[in-house]
Amino acid sequence: MIRSGVRRAFRLALRRRDRWEREVEDEIKLHLSLRAEQLVAQGATPEEAFREAARRFGPLTESRARLLEAARHRELRMHRTEYVADLRQDISFAVRTLGRQKGWTAITILTLALGIGATTAVFSVVSSLLLHPIPYPDADRVVIVEQQPNQGNNTGIRVSITPASPIVNAWRTGSHIFESLEPYRARGMLLRTTGDPAPVRVTSILPSFLTFANERPLIGRIFSAGEIENKAPVALLSEGIWRERFGADDKVLGRSITIGGQIGDSAYTIIGVLPASLQTPGVGRDRTDIWFPLDLTNRNLGLSIVGRLRPHMTISAATRELDALALRADVYPPGKAPFVTMVRRPAELIDFRDSLIMLTAAVALVLLVACANVAHLMMVRTATRRRELAVRVALGAGRTRLFRQLITESFILAFAGAGGGILLGWLGLKALVALRPASMTELTAAHLDLTTLGVTIAASVLSGILFGVIGAFESSKQSTHEALKAGSLATSHARGHDRLRSLLVVSEMALSATLIVGATLLIRTVVNLQRTDLGFEPKGLYAVNVSLPNARYRTPASRAAFFNEIAARLRATPSVRGLAFSLVPPGARSFSIGTFEIDGEAAANAAGASFTDVNDVDNDFFKTMGIRLVEGTLFTDTTEAAGQVIVNAAFARAHWLPGRALGHRVRVAYQGQGHWRTIVGVAADASTTGPGTHSTAPLLYGPKSEYSLQESIMVRTAGVKDLAGVVRALVKTIDPQLSPPHVESAEAIVARTISGPRFTMLLLTAFTFLALVLAAVGLYGVMAYSVTQQTREIGIRIALGATRRTIAKAVVLRGVLLAITGAGVGLAGAFWGSRLIAKMLYGVAPLDPISFAAGALLLILTATAACVVPTRRALAIDPIRAIRAD
Amino acid sequence: MSRLPVLKGTLDLLVLRALSWTPMHGFEIVSWLERAANSSLDIEDSALYQAVYRLEERGLLQAEWGVTENNRRARYYKLTSAGRTHLRAETRNWVQYADTVTSILTASKSGEPAPAST
Repeated sequence: MIRSGVRRAFRLALRRRDRWEREVEDEIKLHLSLRAEQLVAQGATPEEAFREAARRFGPLTESRARLLEAARHRELRMHRTEYVADLRQDISFAVRTLGRQKGWTAITILTLALGIGATTAVFSVVSSLLLHPIPYPDADRVVIVEQQPNQGNNTGIRVSITPASPIVNAWRTGSHIFESLEPYRARGMLLRTTGDPAPVRVTSILPSFLTFANERPLIGRIFSAGEIENKAPVALLSEGIWRERFGADDKVLGRSITIGGQIGDSAYTIIGVLPASLQTPGVGRDRTDIWFPLDLTNRNLGLSIVGRLRPHMTISAATRELDALALRADVYPPGKAPFVTMVRRPAELIDFRDSLIMLTAAVALVLLVACANVAHLMMVRTATRRRELAVRVALGAGRTRLFRQLITESFILAFAGAGGGILLGWLGLKALVALRPASMTELTAAHLDLTTLGVTIAASVLSGILFGVIGAFESSKQSTHEALKAGSLATSHARGHDRLRSLLVVSEMALSATLIVGATLLIRTVVNLQRTDLGFEPKGLYAVNVSLPNARYRTPASRAAFFNEIAARLRATPSVRGLAFSLVPPGARSFSIGTFEIDGEAAANAAGASFTDVNDVDNDFFKTMGIRLVEGTLFTDTTEAAGQVIVNAAFARAHWLPGRALGHRVRVAYQGQGHWRTIVGVAADASTTGPGTHSTAPLLYGPKSEYSLQESIMVRTAGVKDLAGVVRALVKTIDPQLSPPHVESAEAIVARTISGPRFTMLLLTAFTFLALVLAAVGLYGVMAYSVTQQTREIGIRIALGATRRTIAKAVVLRGVLLAITGAGVGLAGAFWGSRLIAKMLYGVAPLDPISFAAGALLLILTATAACVVPTRRALAIDPIRAIRAD
Repeated sequence: MSRLPVLKGTLDLLVLRALSWTPMHGFEIVSWLERAANSSLDIEDSALYQAVYRLEERGLLQAEWGVTENNRRARYYKLTSAGRTHLRAETRNWVQYADTVTSILTASKSGEPAPAST
């Protein structure tokens, strides 16, 4: 037998089945005849000898079968051993080859890792938030049910109406389309039993919520029907708070805890603990700490609702059914529902959904660039190795064997790249979550998605292998003789190959150009948002949000006493220049629901309802905020009866000629009812909820006639260091039991309102940068390769007197031409793509020429930079050596 | 001619021993074993081939086609270095085992080994 190593070296085929079967037969035959000869020599007759030989060998058929089986086993095992040895040899050879080209290997692995990492991080977010946002069984049938005014949501933000319990009851009893409809109500309260009073999130549910979520209590039990009916003061703890504050003690059952809310403190008996996995819908929102029974008889409470459709039921059918049921609930006048039902998929409720989808597209482009780069790197490599491969073929290496070698290399690169990608993806995701703006709470729920990881790894690895194989094919087509004969600096190379490489680089450039345009548009958007005139002065302005407990501040007089006191003390504080009261602070809005009507103009739809922005303010509000009064006066009479109102300028201008708004009457009518109010003033437009948010929709400033339980005190300061500290101290002296108010600077509020777009912009810029770097690496690769290929040609040209200028120009021109082609295609892509992000832009048109110019320019600059090294290499060519080489 | 019974598992060892001097083909191994035992083996000849294949599969033997003195094509087996190591170790085990069994079988009632008789 040939030694296995030798066989491997020459790639001899392993023996085939018929061959080793014959060998076994031969061996048996030889044995029998040798034995017979031996016996004859000892004096037996030939006949006897053969019989004896056969007897000693054993029953022939049976033995033969046994031997064949043993031989088969042996061949199989040896085949496997040899295969493993081959593989090991392939791997160590590949590692050595790759190690010899450290730069190339590092770039390839890094490209793979960046592509896989970035894509994985973003796709993981998409998968967790948009594709699998809700932790309930049959999530594809789970929907959120809420209401909207029948004229729709005109506010530009996500706001909805939570249906009242009579409607919810009608839905629950009447629906055939829903398998279940679970109302719940969540609110913040204070747990006063263990240690310091702690804010807790309390959610009221029905026992059926557990069935819906397919969960059961860890210990104890859920509320009984009787407890719900009798409004028994019972509660279940969440697993989290049970472990943190109750030491996971089984004896909590039956214990009483005190929980404080708006109405005051009450005692509740703990009857069970619910697992941490039980959650209300709302990805990444605060977790519920304590569960209460839901009282469906209270008609005043708005309820959140999550439901599960029966299989094959559509959202539109569900909407129609719920609308019809709501009309029969005896809540609205016959046939005139001011609200309509909205049934939505949970993923639709994520505010930054558009950003996520856009970023997904962007990162997919980055992945494409990375794939193109890997493909291209693989091709360059096989091309430069043509000679090596030809030598090995000449020495007897089989083509399949070389093929296997190339694929092994691809796999090793893929593994290294995938490893790096997983690490980068994980880090990237952590960074995303850590750097998220406050408005993107849902991001916290994102986790590394294995499917995504698999898909991205497969995509980049496949592209590597595919192009590795293309390269191998290309090189194997060429005759061994040719490749050996041609020098290593052969001037001729496959034209098609070259074109494919250029195509890859052009696509990389194009994708990058598209991304640059998108990123520039977003950068300009954020700059515009930051520069825009807000209509009020956030600098030095603070919002102090005070919330008083109903139990001790039930009377208007007690509230007035408190707020007057704190206002007086704040005014007396040095560096406080002024203050005012407002129903809502900057960044927040409050709405009146109903039909907005102007006296004298027929209401478009008397039964219609929409949201109208309202705010109750005192007369100091406008001066404190820095909002000019454009027309009219401040409130001269703050009584309800006087019905004075100040409106926003954009609305006034949309309806009346300048100066004509005063004296007109407006109202928000709900089912035909509502006080008419007279316009006494017009205030300049102020984007208190963030740059660019003011519109021609009405904003009604009403006079503050008395203090409510929740007030925002707007404080105008000059050079105050720690207003929050001052306010806290003040509140403590006035009412020591009060929880400290929330103080935030208006500047921080404004920054918060644009933190979402900024975050999106930063991410897109990062991805664009990534794509651009990858594309530059790709272009560099192509240019460096072509300079190497043309060494002799360039040498000859230098020898013939070409100046350094001409040489440099030729190289750079080729690179820039590739970039220009790429830019052309990329800008065309952006022309189409920028429309998709039009909704996210502010103060800049989707076809903004500056952004498009930036795309082209940046790309060409990058391309020029990528040509620097290849150009220097071309200039350094020594004509004599180049021509003599080989 | 008395027949040498072959204990289970010892055949492999005997084959390795046979090949420890020189490569042999199947019949040579059989003949060598018979000569060495001064008797015929109490097994069928085919069992020996099975043992050989098994040893080859385990990488203790290597096979190669060659030609006999009488110019016949035969499959020659030779020890690999793994086979040699295996033979050494197994021989030591076997001898130790045999010694122990012998000393037990020849021990006196008190358990003292019997005095060596000459």
